[in-house]
Amino acid sequence: MSENEIDIIEQTSADNKPVIEFKGVSKTYPSGTHALEDVNIRINKGEFAFVVGSSGAGKSTFMKLIMREEKANTGTIMVNGFNLTKMRRKSIPKLRRTMGIVFQDFRLIPKMNVFDNVAFAMHVVGANKREIRKEVAKALAKVGLGEKARSMPNELSGGEQQRVGLARALVNSPDLIIADEPTGNVDPNMSYEIVSLLTEINKRGTTVLMVTHDHNLVRDFKHRVIMLDSGRIVADNLGGDEQ
Amino acid sequence: MKARSFRYLIGEGFKGAWANRLMSLASVGVLVACMVIIGLALLISQNVSRALGKLEQQNVVMVYMKDYSWALYGDEVEKVAEGGDENGIKPDSYVIHNEEEAKALCDKIAALDNVESVEYISGEEGLESIKKNMLEGQEQYFAFLDEEFGNPLSASAKVTMKDMGAFTKTVEKIKAIDGVESIKAQNDLAERINSVKRGVLIAGIWIISILMIISLVVVSNTIRITMYSRKLEISIMKAVGATDAFVRIPFVVEGVLIGVVSAIIAEGLLYFCYRVATETISQTLGTTDIVRYSEMAFYLLGVFLVIGVLAGAIGSFIMIGKYLRREGSEFSAI
Repeated sequence: MSENEIDIIEQTSADNKPVIEFKGVSKTYPSGTHALEDVNIRINKGEFAFVVGSSGAGKSTFMKLIMREEKANTGTIMVNGFNLTKMRRKSIPKLRRTMGIVFQDFRLIPKMNVFDNVAFAMHVVGANKREIRKEVAKALAKVGLGEKARSMPNELSGGEQQRVGLARALVNSPDLIIADEPTGNVDPNMSYEIVSLLTEINKRGTTVLMVTHDHNLVRDFKHRVIMLDSGRIVADNLGGDEQ
Repeated sequence: MKARSFRYLIGEGFKGAWANRLMSLASVGVLVACMVIIGLALLISQNVSRALGKLEQQNVVMVYMKDYSWALYGDEVEKVAEGGDENGIKPDSYVIHNEEEAKALCDKIAALDNVESVEYISGEEGLESIKKNMLEGQEQYFAFLDEEFGNPLSASAKVTMKDMGAFTKTVEKIKAIDGVESIKAQNDLAERINSVKRGVLIAGIWIISILMIISLVVVSNTIRITMYSRKLEISIMKAVGATDAFVRIPFVVEGVLIGVVSAIIAEGLLYFCYRVATETISQTLGTTDIVRYSEMAFYLLGVFLVIGVLAGAIGSFIMIGKYLRREGSEFSAI
């Protein structure tokens, strides 16, 4: 049986199955830095979880492992039904198509307008023009930028640019949104707007995992909080109160 | 990959080449220079082969046969002092007794691999042609010999060869045939022609190989710069689940495009340069026997396109492959 077939068989459809599951995961970089140690966590479908922790706590490594940018040294990681520890390099695109990624620095292509920036993610998965027109318009409407489809990124505010980033992450209807400090480069008001949008998306069934340093956001939005420190999970508050 | 994705990626390749037109233009310039030099090397080698071909045609080998006159004037005459005809020669002391046997020997030579043509020349014809070329007074010496003993020239064969490379081997084979007395061959010329041919070939291979490598490096570097300038796009592509092929195709298209444009420009430029050069040469040296560009035009365009497409495709393929392996899947920190 090929690696691809294993990946597909291991994909699950049942809602009660976890979207993300770490079992005894450790990651040490070749330089000797122990980034994560014996991490066990389960995030179910439809959950919204904040990942918090100081710099060097292991948040980035945690996210990189989920996106299969890095490979764990020990333990098992399952994401959207894919076994990441067994996954071969050429199967990574299949995993990534099941998730939408929002970056702190927006990552918009400056020479493309808002519409094309969002459409770009659909070209990659081979969508046709009609689908692209329909879905991009829908995604832009969701983030409240329907009127700005023809604007260039430099004509938008930071918050608007991040909303374009969010529309791009949403346009392929992913099961999971990974947001790496999406409010890091926007003003506080806009931060609330972004997290409200993510919460809206989450209410429609998409699992959201968001890294943040913003204590106010964590406090005001009552979501699950996973706290990392020195590569270990030191708190996992399902109620949403900050530790 | 879906056809529409492929169309989209080809379009992206064209856009990429246009967006980086200054850089693309620089590499087109270097590629054109390489191609023009390669083209010149090919044209020069073609002209050298044509000139050598003429020399080769002139280079005939004379094969002399063991016939009556050979027995008459050779060492054999003393050994057969008794018996035989009025000159003391027995028929079994020579191999070729008549024209039929001489022609049969010619057929044997003609049957050898490398022999292009064999022309039979009888002793009488040989003598006539020598007499024609003699100065007045000299021919009397031959006339004296002819009158005293008969024609001193043996029957011969004028042999031309196909490949001068196998010259010595063929001469050896002819020598081994029964009835062949001696061979008059211009070994020096054959060897010189061969060494010039070898020299031109080796120089050509070196020039083309070096320039091919230069072309490859130039295109790779252009693609590398394009690639780093599009790092952001690549990182987004990887984040939304693009395959390596998807990321790679626009760059390969861009590389191939650079190659094709260079090939077309090189063809035009070389045509112009070669025409000017050949006109000057034919006016100065008065020679008209130069390879015309039109004879080589399609061949050269083909060579340029192959070089351009290969350099473009391989150069970009290697570069982007290297990038994808090293940094391609790291998109969270670019």
